Amino acid sequence: MSPEQFQQMFKRLEAEVQRVIVGHDDLIRKILIAFFAGGHVLLEGVPGLGKTLLVKSLSRALGLSFKRIQFTPDLMPSDIVGTEVLSEHSGEREFQFKRGPIFAHVVLADEINRATPKTQSAVLEAMEEKQVTVFGDSHILESPFIVLATQNPIELEGTYPLPEAQLDRFFFKLLVTSPTPVELKEILKRTTGMVTSEISKVLPEDGGKLVGEMHQLLRQVMIAPPIEDYVVRLVYATQPNGANGSSPRAAVKQYIRFGSSPRGAQAIILGAKGNALAENRVHVSYEDVERVVYPALRHRIILNFQAEAENITTDQVIGEIFKQVARN
Amino acid sequence: MQVLSRPSNRQQPENILGRLVARLSRHALWDSLLLFGPPASALIFAAALLFRAGWLGQVATIVAVTLTLALGVVAIVLRLRPLLPNVLRAARLLDQRSGAKDHFLTLATIDGAKQPASFLSRLRQQTEIFLNRVELKRDFPYQLKRSAYWSLGTALLLAAAVYLLLPLAHSMLNPIGAPDRLRELAQKMTANPELRPLAGELQALAAKLEDPQMPAKEKKALAERLEEKVEEQKKKEEQKDKRDLLGEAASALTGVEKQQESASGKEQQKDQKRGGGGIQTNARQDGQGENKQSQGSSGESKGDSSAQLTKDMDQGKASQANPKEPGQDKTQPGDAKNNQNQPDPNQPGKDPNQPKVSKTQGGSKEGAGKEQMSEQPPPQGGPQADRFYKAGEGKEGLAGAGYVTVQLPEEVVADSKGESRVTKESKNNSTRTQVPLSNVPLPAHIPNAPTEKQQMPIEYRGIIR
Repeated sequence: MSPEQFQQMFKRLEAEVQRVIVGHDDLIRKILIAFFAGGHVLLEGVPGLGKTLLVKSLSRALGLSFKRIQFTPDLMPSDIVGTEVLSEHSGEREFQFKRGPIFAHVVLADEINRATPKTQSAVLEAMEEKQVTVFGDSHILESPFIVLATQNPIELEGTYPLPEAQLDRFFFKLLVTSPTPVELKEILKRTTGMVTSEISKVLPEDGGKLVGEMHQLLRQVMIAPPIEDYVVRLVYATQPNGANGSSPRAAVKQYIRFGSSPRGAQAIILGAKGNALAENRVHVSYEDVERVVYPALRHRIILNFQAEAENITTDQVIGEIFKQVARN
Repeated sequence: MQVLSRPSNRQQPENILGRLVARLSRHALWDSLLLFGPPASALIFAAALLFRAGWLGQVATIVAVTLTLALGVVAIVLRLRPLLPNVLRAARLLDQRSGAKDHFLTLATIDGAKQPASFLSRLRQQTEIFLNRVELKRDFPYQLKRSAYWSLGTALLLAAAVYLLLPLAHSMLNPIGAPDRLRELAQKMTANPELRPLAGELQALAAKLEDPQMPAKEKKALAERLEEKVEEQKKKEEQKDKRDLLGEAASALTGVEKQQESASGKEQQKDQKRGGGGIQTNARQDGQGENKQSQGSSGESKGDSSAQLTKDMDQGKASQANPKEPGQDKTQPGDAKNNQNQPDPNQPGKDPNQPKVSKTQGGSKEGAGKEQMSEQPPPQGGPQADRFYKAGEGKEGLAGAGYVTVQLPEEVVADSKGESRVTKESKNNSTRTQVPLSNVPLPAHIPNAPTEKQQMPIEYRGIIR
């Protein structure tokens, strides 16, 4: 696959999803970047903003298998990964593995923070290892595999916020915002009329193989050493203890409890590479990095009590870091 | 058949990067040269001026110039090193100028061996597209930095200051003497027949000015007289150049007058330092002799002083015996302190800050008073007005004058009643052992008593006895 083909495919997917989803262009692009980079996405937004529709539309456009899991407090891990059931086959009874909904290319984990940590960890193991283990038997998940989890920032009663270690496994955390008046008008036009948009499949039959090639292509994108250094400095700048001998910035020291892990830097570079390919470039630019820094770091930076008390968000802290870390 | 010609600057991106680095290096060199070149040139110029003026020897000039050049080179090198651009900076500049998205940066910094060849060639192709947007001469022209303007301005100021101030400093350090100036003017005036007499007089004055035996006062008088002549001649002259020449002569003579005036002032001060003098210290002239008599009684009893006073009074100079005691006579004995607190310009030795001497130590006190007077520095302030002197007395004091005394109103009244002072004083049981001080302020109960003391002008000498 060539970079042009990648870009064409990417553009077609974007356009196809945008036929249903009004606005959220940046959101769609970043989900696709995460998908082709092999990462998972955590979508956060209040109900009714089209998170579930977005994920459904994407899976349809990709033409890959799609499963939706509605997380509830009584959901058990076996409800997700599957379980062994006793079945009778030609007169003999035996345990047979019944696959759970996690066995799909695209999995929508809706309201993931409503399930218990035990259930959450089952999903998160699958996300990281791309396999599940049931009764001692490991089962490989589909490839490509992407989990698109959603969570509601309000109605936190009876929820189990994801622990930091599990949050770190999401490639991007994307915020779903309310549509603008123009977008809302367009949404009304598309959803309340007689004509509804149908999403057609973009990827060919062997879409999984193609996605694999695209995944490989993305990793070949070149990145200049100065830009790599820039990413490293950005990530180290989130450390409140001044890692690597550098002194922490005032805002970082004041508001951050834990900085980003190396996974943050990996996500930034892979995301930047995906963005570069989407723009038909074979090298990463500073702009590519800056476009993906927020979604790559916002769930990896843990704020302290003072920041919460002062209603400081991670995006604000990242903004401060951006101001203080200069390009090479 | 259409042949697509490549634009001249459409070369390999690496080449244009190299060219840009070289260009920016030249810019940095110019920046450094323009920063340190003008001051170094100004210093060399100053050294040349100093050499021409004779302030610097040949070797010193060569050393100064060599040192300046060496320092300039070192400064340029030190300044140039951090300014020298690298490929990274050049690539970033090219990216900014051409609108490329870090194409040049990636191409310049990436290790091509570790990258897929297809990607590298693709990157090079994409970068070449941006080359058409860049023209080094147009996009990276040399611009003078503000530091260069400052440097140039400072250097020009320095050069101008040295050029303008050097002659001034030279004239200040090696001033032309007044006699030479007068001779120079006389020589100019000699060319003009009408001014030859004045020229001769100027030369004569110049010769006299160089005579160390002639007093400064006399030199000044001569200069004044000649200046008057010059001024008269100037008024008569109609030609501008002659008037200018005479004006120069007049101003030179004015300078001579001032010079001599200050010289005479210095002489006067020297005299005062040597032994007092002037009207303000009436201990120097005849009174000094009188004091010596009184001093002769140093350590003697007070009665001796009284006897001496009586003797002096018989000779008609009783009040000249001692300048201090009358003050005590006119006041209560206990008021001596008060009198001491009132400084008398005619009694510089009687300083209120000086330690008090007991009344029983009259002789010693007088002697001390004399010593104090002789040690006392001359009074501060400008020269006295002429009206304090008789003709021929000059400013060095009243020649042959004794102590200046003043008859106070109560004394006048006493005299009119037929009481002699001595009688009056004897009534008061006070001895007048010393010559009165002059200009003693009137007592406070006298109407219109002046609050300040001043010296006795010559017009009032009629009442001085």
